[in-house]
Amino acid sequence: MLAQQLVNGILLGSTYALIALGLTLVLGVFGKLNIAHGDVFMFGAFAGVAAASFGASLALAILAGIFVSAVVNVIIERSCFYPLRNAHFLAPMLSTIAFGILLQNVATQIWGSDPSRYPNIEAVTQFEIGGILLSSVHIVILAVSFSVMLTVDIVIYRTKIGRALRATALDPEVAGLLGVNTKNVMFITFLTAGALAGVAGVLTAVVYSQISPLIGIRQGLIGMVAMVIGGLGNLRGAMIGGILIGLVEVLNDAYLDASYRDLIVFSLFFGFIILKPNGLFPQPSGNRS
Amino acid sequence: MLRFKALLSLIAVMTIAIMLTGTVQAQNVYRIGLNVPITGGGADAGKREVIGAQVAVNEINAKGGIGGAKLEMIVTDTGSNPHDAVNAVRKLAGDDKVLAIVGPHYSGVAESTFPLGNRIGIVQVAVASSKPGVAAANRPFAFRNTLTEDKIAVAVVEAVKKRYNPKRIALIVDIKDAVARAIGTKVFPGVLKKADLNVINAKKPVTFQTGDAQFTAQVTKLKALNPDAIGLGALGPDALNIITEARRQGMKQPFFGTAPLIEGNIPEKGGSAVVGTIAGSIWSTQLNDSRSRAFIKSYKELAKTLHPGKFTANPDYYPVNSYDAVYMIVDAIKAKHIKPGMENLATKRIAIKDHFSDMKSFNGIASDGFNKVGDGKKNVHVFEIKDKAWKLIK
Repeated sequence: MLAQQLVNGILLGSTYALIALGLTLVLGVFGKLNIAHGDVFMFGAFAGVAAASFGASLALAILAGIFVSAVVNVIIERSCFYPLRNAHFLAPMLSTIAFGILLQNVATQIWGSDPSRYPNIEAVTQFEIGGILLSSVHIVILAVSFSVMLTVDIVIYRTKIGRALRATALDPEVAGLLGVNTKNVMFITFLTAGALAGVAGVLTAVVYSQISPLIGIRQGLIGMVAMVIGGLGNLRGAMIGGILIGLVEVLNDAYLDASYRDLIVFSLFFGFIILKPNGLFPQPSGNRS
Repeated sequence: MLRFKALLSLIAVMTIAIMLTGTVQAQNVYRIGLNVPITGGGADAGKREVIGAQVAVNEINAKGGIGGAKLEMIVTDTGSNPHDAVNAVRKLAGDDKVLAIVGPHYSGVAESTFPLGNRIGIVQVAVASSKPGVAAANRPFAFRNTLTEDKIAVAVVEAVKKRYNPKRIALIVDIKDAVARAIGTKVFPGVLKKADLNVINAKKPVTFQTGDAQFTAQVTKLKALNPDAIGLGALGPDALNIITEARRQGMKQPFFGTAPLIEGNIPEKGGSAVVGTIAGSIWSTQLNDSRSRAFIKSYKELAKTLHPGKFTANPDYYPVNSYDAVYMIVDAIKAKHIKPGMENLATKRIAIKDHFSDMKSFNGIASDGFNKVGDGKKNVHVFEIKDKAWKLIK
C-alpha cells in the first residue's frame, strides 16, 4: 500500500506544485504576493468544466482553463498591481484579497454554489505496474503537470524571455537599464502564472470531478505553504515543495487521520519559517525576496 | 405665517395617515420569517427552500389567507454562516416582529440561532439540520422539521442487508462536517452493530475533510481493507467523488449512506460508477402521491420567476420541509386562535411553541408532526441508484 500511497501523494502534489509555481513567479519577479491566485485557479477549473460540458476534449478544456485564468490574472495585474505600483507594498496584496472575494462571488453567480462536475470521466482504463494501480486519468494528470513544470523550467532557465524575467527579479532597475522591457515582463509573468493556475484548475477538476466557487481558498493557501517550504521565489523549490506537501497529506490520511492533516501541514510551515526561513532551496543572494 | 401653519398641519395629517395605514396593514396580516442561506455555500439549497415556502404562502393567500388576514413572509439571508444567521433572527424577531421563523438550514448554524430563539422566546423550525441532539439541547423553542439521521440509517442498513447481504462493512467519514461526522462515527457504528454486521474499522474509520481535492489516499486504504460494502458518513458531493475514485481504483463494492447522499444529483453526475448505491430520505421527486405531484408542479412554476436557475429548477426534500413548516405555523395560528397583527407578540409566540410541543400528528407532504424533543416525525423512503436516478426500493 505504501508504494501506491506515494504515487497518490505525487499525484496530489503535482497540482499543488503548479499553483505554487504561479505564485512563485509573481513573487520572485516582483516581490509581491497575489492572494487571489487560488481563485484564479478556481476560475480556470470552471472554464475547463464549462468547455468540457460543451463537448470539448480534455486538451481543449485545458486550453480553455489556461486562456480564462491567464486573462483573469492579467486583469488582476491591471487592476490590483499596476495602479498601485508606487503605493505601500501591502496595498496590491490587500487589493488581491478583495479581488479574490469578487471572483468567488462572480463564480457563484455564473455557476451556482452547488458543485459543478467535469463531464464524462467515468470511462477509465486501469494499468497495474508492479502492484501500483494507475488509471488513465491519473496518468494524464501526471504527464500534463510534469511536462508543464519541465517547460516552465526550460523557459525560465534556458531562454531569452526567461533571462529577462530572472534579470528583473534580481534588480528591476538594472534590468531596465540593460534594455529589458520590465512592463512587458510584468505582463508575461502574470499571463504565465495565470496559465499555470488554469492548468492546475482543470486537472484538479478532472481528478476531483467536482468543483465549487470556494475551492480556490485552501488550494491557494497550500500553494503559499509549498512556496515557503521550497524557498521563497525559487521555482524549482516551489515545485518540490508542492509535491512534498502532497506526499505529507496523503501519508497522513493513509496512516494517521484526516483531522491531523492541516495541523501537520501548517506545523511544517511554521517549522520552516522558524528553523529554515529560506526554505529547502534558498534563492541566490541579490534577489530582493 | 398662515401658509407655514397650513403646510405644517398638512405634514402632520399626512404623517398620521401614513402611520394609521401602517397600523391597519400590520393589523390585518400574519407575519412569519424565513431565515435560510441565499448566499454562501448553501445558497442553492436555501433558494429552493425560499421557493418551497413561498408556494405554501401563495396557496394560503390564494384561498383568502387565514380567516381573511393575509400571510406575509419576510425572507432573510443566513449567508450560510452562524454570525449572519444570528443577526437575521434578531432582525426578524425585533424589527419585523414575526410570529415564528422557518429556518435555519444547517445544524452548525442552528446550534447558534436556537439558543438565541430561546432567549427571545420565538419558535424556529429548521428545515435541513439533521445532526442528532440539536433540537433536544435547545428546548423549548427549537424545532426541526427534519428526520435525524439515526432513523434513516436503520431503514438504509436494513435495505443494504437485504440487497447485498454483506458481512464486513468499512466506514469512511468526513471529520469536518457536523452531520456527516455524526453519521460516520456514531449513527452507522451503532445501527450496523444492532443489525449484526461487522464494522471492520469502527474504531478507526477512514477519514477525510469536506471538499477535499482528492480521495486517492482514502480509497487506497479502503481497498486494502477489502470490505463487502462501504458506509458513507459524507455529504453528497464528496460521496460522489469517493465512489468515482473507488471505481477508478478498481473497487466494485456497493456504497450506502443517509439523507445527505440524496443531495447533489449523484445519479445524474455519477453515471455508471454510482449504480447500486443505496440511501434514504424523507421525500424525493420519485414519490408519486397526488400531493407530491401537485407540489412539484407549483414549485417548478414558481421557480421560473423566483430565483430562476438550473440549480433551483427542481425541488428536493428541503423545499418540501420549508413548505410543510409554513403550514405547521398556520396550523398553530388556527388552533390557538391567534389574531393577526403585532400586539401581544410574546403571548402569540408562546402559543405557537405550545402547539408545536403538542403536535403529535400533522398531515403534511412529508411531515407528521414533532416528537418530544422537537425533531420531525416522518416516513423514511429508501432509494437505490438505477438508470441515472434514485429509484424507490419497494
